[in-house]
Amino acid sequence: MSITLGRRELVGALGAAMAAAGGGPVFAQPRGEQLLVVMWGAQWIEVCRPIGEEWMRRTGDRIQWELHAGGAMAVVGRLRPIWPRIQQNLIAAWDPVFDAMMEAGWMEPVDEDEMPALKEIPDIFFKKDAQGRKMTVPLSTAGAFWGYRTDLVDRPVESVEQLLEPRFRGKLCVPVPVNLSGLLLVSLAMQRGGNERNIEPGWQLLTELARRGNIGRVVANNSEMISAMSAGDLSVAFWNTGGWQAVRDRFPSRLLTRLTDNKGFLFNEGFAVMKGENRARIAAAKRFANHFATAEINTRYNMPLGSGPTNRSATASPAIADIFYRPDELDRFAYIPDYAYMATQVDGWTRRWEQEITPLIRRA
Amino acid sequence: MRRIPVALWLAAPGLLLLLALMGGPVVLLVLESLKPFVPGSIRPGEGVTLGNYTELLAPAYLFYFQETFRFGIIVAGLSVLFGAPLAFAAVRSRSALLRKLLLALLVGLLVMSLIARLYAIEMAWGSLGPLAPLGALTGIAPRSPRYAEVQVAIGLLHFTMPVVALMLVGTFRALPPRLEEAAASLGARRSDVVVSVVLPLAAPGLVSAFLVALAMCISNFVVPLILGRGIVTLATSLMYTRFADIGNYPSGAAIGVVMLVLAFAVVYGLSALARRVLPGARL
Repeated sequence: MSITLGRRELVGALGAAMAAAGGGPVFAQPRGEQLLVVMWGAQWIEVCRPIGEEWMRRTGDRIQWELHAGGAMAVVGRLRPIWPRIQQNLIAAWDPVFDAMMEAGWMEPVDEDEMPALKEIPDIFFKKDAQGRKMTVPLSTAGAFWGYRTDLVDRPVESVEQLLEPRFRGKLCVPVPVNLSGLLLVSLAMQRGGNERNIEPGWQLLTELARRGNIGRVVANNSEMISAMSAGDLSVAFWNTGGWQAVRDRFPSRLLTRLTDNKGFLFNEGFAVMKGENRARIAAAKRFANHFATAEINTRYNMPLGSGPTNRSATASPAIADIFYRPDELDRFAYIPDYAYMATQVDGWTRRWEQEITPLIRRA
Repeated sequence: MRRIPVALWLAAPGLLLLLALMGGPVVLLVLESLKPFVPGSIRPGEGVTLGNYTELLAPAYLFYFQETFRFGIIVAGLSVLFGAPLAFAAVRSRSALLRKLLLALLVGLLVMSLIARLYAIEMAWGSLGPLAPLGALTGIAPRSPRYAEVQVAIGLLHFTMPVVALMLVGTFRALPPRLEEAAASLGARRSDVVVSVVLPLAAPGLVSAFLVALAMCISNFVVPLILGRGIVTLATSLMYTRFADIGNYPSGAAIGVVMLVLAFAVVYGLSALARRVLPGARL
């Protein structure tokens, strides 16, 4: 016996079967929005991936992670030629990068109606545009400091001047000027009485370190710093709290956050919501960024990074108590440089590094 | 009506593709290199400038270009020096097993991820690697900048040698074995046959392989990035910093254009030199 079914009968039969099965679609349409989020590698992406997966299960949004290649400023250079046809919806960045993207008009303003968790973040942490609108989603208070592995240094380091000693030959791990927007240079300048606007003393000290052969490695990103400081042939570094936290988790280390003749640097990290034509996607990006700003996720995000949460109700890791400052210590030990000014100098500093410092390191 | 030669018809699709894929971007690169850069701003400056080129005349930048070609020439030379005997053995060895093993080794090296090979070198020869004491036998301290140079050279050699050797396999295969047999029958020793017959006949292939290895070295970015400890900076690293880290596209483009011109000049110069040294060779 044969059964002959026409097209209409077949569609009808399928429809009846679907109705009987509870009306589920034949081809499941993905719900939610597809978001491309730029994040740092190393432990940043480690902490973000599970948070993103939970969010995807809960909302149906699809989060695709892209990693920063080098410092966060690199993404600006990468997006510039293709703007405004960019795919990225959220970019994790820090103060100087926010300044550059804001100046170019790439960022979407954020407000508390759309993102209620922002109400719990102190106003001082936000970057604002000329109209006073909030432009960033601050997630962390982080810093950049000198530090060293105590298991590899015979006597404690109490001053940056000590780094000129022969015992540190080939032992220093430093960032290129473009990383941390030149904070290394500012730190060295402050050691000799300068600052970001009077940087010459910093070049002089850097030249001395390079000439003596004390700079053993120049790193360009978190992973390089962590692996360089984990290898065991370098003992001292200048880097951010996230990198240091990873080193501190594995090796006995001391951060020089309270130097009498120098200072630690503080900055904010967070998300920038990128402009685009797809309003639904921007709204989804804001919801996801808001999720990171909630007290629970803000705590979870910052704990392994060794950075301070920005949400008032979030809990800071006890492990970072020695890194961050009490209000009465801020003036003595911490410094917040003019990152917008530094962003205008990084190009020139990088050229000078290439012309004066790299050849010295090679010859040392 | 004159007919268009068949060779031109055959070459046309490839030529058009090259023009579209390479010519267009190179023209854009040249145009970008003439734009001024505004520090701290993402927006490009207005007008036209040669400043991106004139700054490269500073002695420090000449040093980077010189270093790039120095690494390239040394590593390309070593690639030919080590690759040619391997290729010759892979073609002329009496043992079929050895021939197969050598070819498998070369192809295996070629298909193995370069990144994996570089990190393996870093782990093995790095300043705390198990082979570091061997490296130290050369008299170079494992933590010194010169050691980073040696590591970069080893990395580049890993990158170029399989390609060079496989190119030379083709060269040696194309040589008629009867010439070698004739020389041997006239009483020449094996080493004399190689030096007096094989090498002169293979010279054009050796020069081509050298030039390919040189091009691969001077355009390589990932080897100095991974093995250079941030200390060995070549022209490609400078370009990357300009483009990716600072967003200074005009300066990065100028370095790219200068490298292109220098590479053409060096390759043309070396080819001309080889033609003079080997008058019968087609180069």
